[in-house]
Amino acid sequence: MPFAPVLRSEWLKIRTLRSLCGALLAVFAVSTAFSALAGTSSSSDPEFDPLFTAFLGVGPGQIAAIAFGATAVSSEFHGGGLRLSLAAVPQRGRWYAAKIAAIGVPALLVGLVTGSASLAAARAGLGDAADGLTVGEQARGVVGCGIYLTLMALFAAGLTALLRSGVATLSVLIPFILIISFVIGDVAGGLTDFLPDRAGQLILHETSDSALGPWSGLGVTALWTAAALLAGAWSVRRRDA
Amino acid sequence: MTSIDIQNLTKEYGTTRAVDHLTFRVLPGRVTGFLGPNGAGKSTAMRLVLGLDRPTSGTATVGGRAYASLDEPLRHAGALLDAQAAHGSRTARDHLRVLAMSNRIPERRVDEVLEETGLASAAKRRVKTYSLGMRQRLGIAAALLGDPPVLLLDEPSNGLDPEGIIWIRELLRRLAGEGRTVLVSSHLMNETASFADHLVVLGRGRLLADTPLREFIHARVQPRVRVRTSKGAALKEALARHGYETVEHADGHLTVQHARVDDIGRLASNADAPVLELTAEEGTLEQAYLDLTTSEAEFTAQRSPTQPQEA
Repeated sequence: MPFAPVLRSEWLKIRTLRSLCGALLAVFAVSTAFSALAGTSSSSDPEFDPLFTAFLGVGPGQIAAIAFGATAVSSEFHGGGLRLSLAAVPQRGRWYAAKIAAIGVPALLVGLVTGSASLAAARAGLGDAADGLTVGEQARGVVGCGIYLTLMALFAAGLTALLRSGVATLSVLIPFILIISFVIGDVAGGLTDFLPDRAGQLILHETSDSALGPWSGLGVTALWTAAALLAGAWSVRRRDA
Repeated sequence: MTSIDIQNLTKEYGTTRAVDHLTFRVLPGRVTGFLGPNGAGKSTAMRLVLGLDRPTSGTATVGGRAYASLDEPLRHAGALLDAQAAHGSRTARDHLRVLAMSNRIPERRVDEVLEETGLASAAKRRVKTYSLGMRQRLGIAAALLGDPPVLLLDEPSNGLDPEGIIWIRELLRRLAGEGRTVLVSSHLMNETASFADHLVVLGRGRLLADTPLREFIHARVQPRVRVRTSKGAALKEALARHGYETVEHADGHLTVQHARVDDIGRLASNADAPVLELTAEEGTLEQAYLDLTTSEAEFTAQRSPTQPQEA
């Protein structure tokens, strides 16, 4: 079976579910709105990082990205839906690859647009405080934002394929990102730098005292995502539908 | 020839054996009714044919090839497994477009099957607004999408209204008439009798019968004659004299076991009993099926103390 029709079918599945289009829109709207808000805050804090301030909206925006990835996969697990999909495309590896591509590509495009819009919105508020940012740093932030949001969406997608439940995935990831990483992050130090969200968000900072650099941090997140996707692939290929 | 071939198929889930060394063929040009109580393994067998579950041992092929190895499989076999499989938030048309696109089936077919299943006017509605009967029609539309020579339908009449039941009956007959292979599971006996030519009966995952419908009934249900006369006593006496077993009913008619109308008519005439009503009572599939499952239950009950269930 050729791959292109399978990919087109998976993309059509995403376009024809309102909740998925809504999640992508939310990634953009939430991130941009929070970044715009952050841009108006005071810049007198000694730890002020103008780049991260511009991308502060990615924190709440990633919840929408996670919801997008999780829902896109969990929509297959409604009342025997997976059986219908696999009866149409019995080559499971191919089906899964098409599904991941149909999630990843729109997530990346939305992520890049979100990054550009967040930066623009925040800079409008920051004014002079952001003048120190180089073009390179800003480009790194925008591209990093796109890749980071994509990786989080795919992380959730892989986990959902493994757990076969969007609810389970969201109840693992959302508390994890909102609470654990946030609360114990500063206390524990060291190892928490390697958590998927903290490592990946280094790319959005101008400077950081983490053991990881911006790109190596994003690389760590990519490894987490790859692991989740492989676990999901294993589950899709091995288990009865 | 596009048949479904099941060879020594076994599927175990943990310690339970859902399908137990099953071997049968489903041939084209006729409707094969797939019968058995809940949990007999009908749905599991269908999933195994479609490559959705992996068999513990044995093989299942469609037209000689494993379903999972088919290129654009919806063009080779269509299936209705679960009417709830369509995502509620998609419109019926989009649901079918998604399936058609993956198998490069032209979009024109989507509108054709919507028309054929009577859903054309509701095609743009979300599936969650559909009744069970409409979902069932949508599932059948999906099965027909690739115009496949083989169809596997799990309980297709489920939730259909009386018009729907007549529609599905005619549809199944037509599909078989076009030379397709049609396997239809059901636990509605009268319904199955109305469309099936051939029967495959399962019990506890094993094959109990694989015979033409008529033969299945005739082998298991003795013919009976229903007769009513104004001289009941005289007829009963005459019947008893000829060794017939009769049952008298409250409204006055008699049921004569193991009899043919010709013999009973002649006998009544000789006994001077005016016949008011005389009909052959055909055995029903339900009677034949119950006869089979009862003897099967006795068989397993007798067997179990000495031969505990393996697995």
